[in-house]
Amino acid sequence: MSKNSLLARANIRKAKGQTVAIVVLVLLSSLMMNLWLMLSMDYKKNFERCHDRLNDGHVNLAAYVTNDDFEKFASDMLKERADITDFTVSNAFVGPLTFEYNGGDMTSLAVLLEKDDALSRNVGKFEITEEGSEKSGIYLPMLYGTRDNYSIGDKFKVTLPNGEYEYTVCGFFNSAMIGSHNCNMMSLLFTSDKFEELLTDNIAWKAVYASARVSDVPKSEEIVAALKDAIAKEFPEISVTTNNYQMITTSRYISQSICAGILSAMAFLVLLIGVVVICSNIANYIQENMPNLGALKAIGYTSRQIIASMIAQFVGVSAAAAVIGIGLSYLVFPAINEMMIAQTGIPYTVRFQIFPVLLTVAFISIVVCAAVYFSAKKIKKIEPIMAMRQGIVTHSFKKNRVPLDSSSMPLNAALAMKTTLSGFKQNITVCITMLVISLVMVFAATMFGNVITDIDPMIDMIAGERADSSITVNLSIEDEFVSALENDSRVEKFYLFGGGSTEIQHVGGISLYVSVTNDCSKLNNQGMSVEGRYPKYDNEISIAAKYAKDNDIKIGDEILLSVGNKQEKYIVSGYTQNTNALGKDCIITREGYEKLAELPNVCYYIDLIEGADIDGFNDELSDRFGGDILSAINVYSIIESSGSVYVLLVTVLVIAVVLISCIVIIFVMYLLVRTMLNNKKRDYGILKALGFTTGQLVLQTAMSFMPSVIISAVIGIAVSTQLVNPLLAVFLSGIGVVKSTFIIPVAGSIIAGAGLVLFAFGAACLMSLRVRKIAPRELLAGE
Amino acid sequence: MKEILLKAEKLSKSFSSGGAMQHVLKNVDLELYEGDFTVIMGASGAGKSTLMYALSGMDTPTLGKITFGDTVISDLSQDGLAVFRRDHCGFVFQQIYLIDSMSVFDNVMTAGLLVNKDKSALIKRAKELFEAVDIPETTQRKFSTQISGGEAQRAGIVRAMINSPEILFADEPTGALNSQTGLDVLNTLTEFNEQGQSVVMVTHDMRSARRGNRILYLKDGSILGECELGKYVPNDLARHEKLSAFLKEMGW
Repeated sequence: MSKNSLLARANIRKAKGQTVAIVVLVLLSSLMMNLWLMLSMDYKKNFERCHDRLNDGHVNLAAYVTNDDFEKFASDMLKERADITDFTVSNAFVGPLTFEYNGGDMTSLAVLLEKDDALSRNVGKFEITEEGSEKSGIYLPMLYGTRDNYSIGDKFKVTLPNGEYEYTVCGFFNSAMIGSHNCNMMSLLFTSDKFEELLTDNIAWKAVYASARVSDVPKSEEIVAALKDAIAKEFPEISVTTNNYQMITTSRYISQSICAGILSAMAFLVLLIGVVVICSNIANYIQENMPNLGALKAIGYTSRQIIASMIAQFVGVSAAAAVIGIGLSYLVFPAINEMMIAQTGIPYTVRFQIFPVLLTVAFISIVVCAAVYFSAKKIKKIEPIMAMRQGIVTHSFKKNRVPLDSSSMPLNAALAMKTTLSGFKQNITVCITMLVISLVMVFAATMFGNVITDIDPMIDMIAGERADSSITVNLSIEDEFVSALENDSRVEKFYLFGGGSTEIQHVGGISLYVSVTNDCSKLNNQGMSVEGRYPKYDNEISIAAKYAKDNDIKIGDEILLSVGNKQEKYIVSGYTQNTNALGKDCIITREGYEKLAELPNVCYYIDLIEGADIDGFNDELSDRFGGDILSAINVYSIIESSGSVYVLLVTVLVIAVVLISCIVIIFVMYLLVRTMLNNKKRDYGILKALGFTTGQLVLQTAMSFMPSVIISAVIGIAVSTQLVNPLLAVFLSGIGVVKSTFIIPVAGSIIAGAGLVLFAFGAACLMSLRVRKIAPRELLAGE
Repeated sequence: MKEILLKAEKLSKSFSSGGAMQHVLKNVDLELYEGDFTVIMGASGAGKSTLMYALSGMDTPTLGKITFGDTVISDLSQDGLAVFRRDHCGFVFQQIYLIDSMSVFDNVMTAGLLVNKDKSALIKRAKELFEAVDIPETTQRKFSTQISGGEAQRAGIVRAMINSPEILFADEPTGALNSQTGLDVLNTLTEFNEQGQSVVMVTHDMRSARRGNRILYLKDGSILGECELGKYVPNDLARHEKLSAFLKEMGW
């Protein structure tokens, strides 16, 4: 065994407690780091693998066909484009559908396909993931088989354009591009008999569903825009819904992005604390072992050998802890995976991944190695004789801090304050730990107030406008419909808003999803306008902040928009934010839109008076207007069903980060208190001999941490309240958020901060109980 | 008739050493009297410091009973013993044991404020005591490592005396000092004793032992003999001879 490893082993044996604490911190960090890397590196690749396995399209379009020539046109159009390498066009049905999901209603535009046809598609295949013995019924995306929603053999009640229907669930399928309500359109597969009924019973609208693979995947958004433009020019009456590769990779992995972001932040923060603890530990080690270090040098050890032994000690321990943490991450990952699947809807098999493992171990080892090297560098300055004779001076004698004769503090507080003011390293460690944990606590409080207890702020920020009911009607009955709303005593407010999947082409840019409104002042979510204002006049437009930022479009700029063959210029009046279209949307006045094209239909958002039955209201109007009501949605029910996934995810994350914070505090306090008791063992013995009780000394010890705990918690909470929204905006920028508008719970943050201080005090008291083991007799000279 | 201050009955103390029990004190019966300057002498390893720390509540006996007034201190918990020490005892250690991260004055105040909440009265007493032991104010504001051993030990005596303890325990108070500073410390202890302070001192130094009026000799954990020297008189040859004869008889 080398001299270095002998020294390292001796050090580890001497400092078992510190070693355990560092192991726990590094273990937690590596656990989260490996989870983050697995989520970031392989989880999204799973989508690519799934997409490739199913030879799915990079662009998909579903067109509600009113013209028999359209299918041929679509095939020819796709064939003629050089950037499309392969495609499949299928006969299908489309229609908005509503069904029960996660305890609420889910509404989405759906492409309805015949099962065998869907399974045999060349481009855009489907695969069955689970199947029962039922031969007649429906196959659902596998997402809806999660969290006890549907099982094989269950009855699936669904509202389609022509009424309510009930199908037996025959199984579940997987589709990369239209296998979830997050895909702009979802799909359902029918057994051939049930598919026939769609046509014979006029249950849904006849449609064409096309999937195309493109040669230049990053340009799939532009290709979609071009295809839609071409269709609009030839068949302006045909309503087309599309999605593309970029959109789906983002929208199906929103929760994965949030989870990965939080895990990465926590991993780095915990590692930072671990590094601070290691640095503090080394400084104390040098201080306590100065004579020994001097002796080692005296017998011929070089500074480099001693430092190398310390690096071997800490890197060895950290790497071992990292490996254990990585091992634990594989135990935790299945549970995270289950939560993720409930949002992504794509099956994922947890498997060993060597690259995240190597990256985690290497990163932690390098960071620890650097930290140890820079902390231990002062060993080079130790002169053996000096070190052996006297060690180093451990106290600053410049000033007697908090003189007891003039201090107005109680004795225990004054003695604690003396310790605080003489413990620079201790204070730095406490401050960094508490600043980091404060940020975590404010984040947790923010998530608690904005998602867990009340999801409305999150919905306001990411889901855009909402009202009790959203009803889309044919233009032909708009006046009658509006009159019905005006005369209905249950209606509190209604306004035109939406356009569903209506798109508008930004000339020189991409196709933007457009929301058309007649009065922006009536919108419930005024916060959706994050800068400037909503459009007021027919030459104004408010565009997604993310799109504006990415394309350097300023408020006041004039942009050229087109629908079909018509083009118009609009002035950008402001920026909006909602994640439904991942930051690729705009709001325009009705008059403004009608300068370019007629609306295909109109969507009204309706607020009902308190206590009114939303479903009853929707049903009543649907019955009255029949087929002219294209969809009637209970918006809150949809929010409840889709939001519950996020609430669950955020709840789990908040609980996890709070628990991790508590563990971190306990271990940091353990290390600090242990170091203090070791360094001040003689002083504690003297104080005990003078008559201080264990309780008094425990209190003094714990109190000595409190000034830095309180100050850093106050600063941490104050700064974090300003930091959380900008940080969240960074985390969520991928889904179109440029400005996080979460309400920072000031009172909650203060309570969290107070809780943090109390917890730190409790932990310090608990750890300080070791003081009872210090017996005054240990002071006494031998007989 | 002198008042009994502290009484020990059948006091035993054993330590485990390498798996074997080492009996340091064996059935010691002892009474300490108010106003006495009791000196515990004995060879190294005789158990004198163990006896003193058991009597002072710094350590707990293995067997036996120690009574202080109505309080059986051998039955007290560790915290109970701490309270007993702060309320009734003062300690002067061979290694002095001032806390070196605070000033000399704060060392004294730390002990004083533990018992006395009247800070101004405490400061007044501390200043009187410092004056009595001849430590000037500039020295009081220094750290213990910045002053001489004699000054530090005298400051240690001030700390021990700050709460006007019923008994002042001194464990080899001159052991770490040179001849002159040791003498200063002994003079200080003698002066306090002359003012009525009860003192119990452990020493193996005859010059120190002469200060006591009562000498106990400990051998192998038992009190082998006792000698009454009477009130201390400096340069008293007869006193010296009496002590020498006693120690000779004890096998010193």
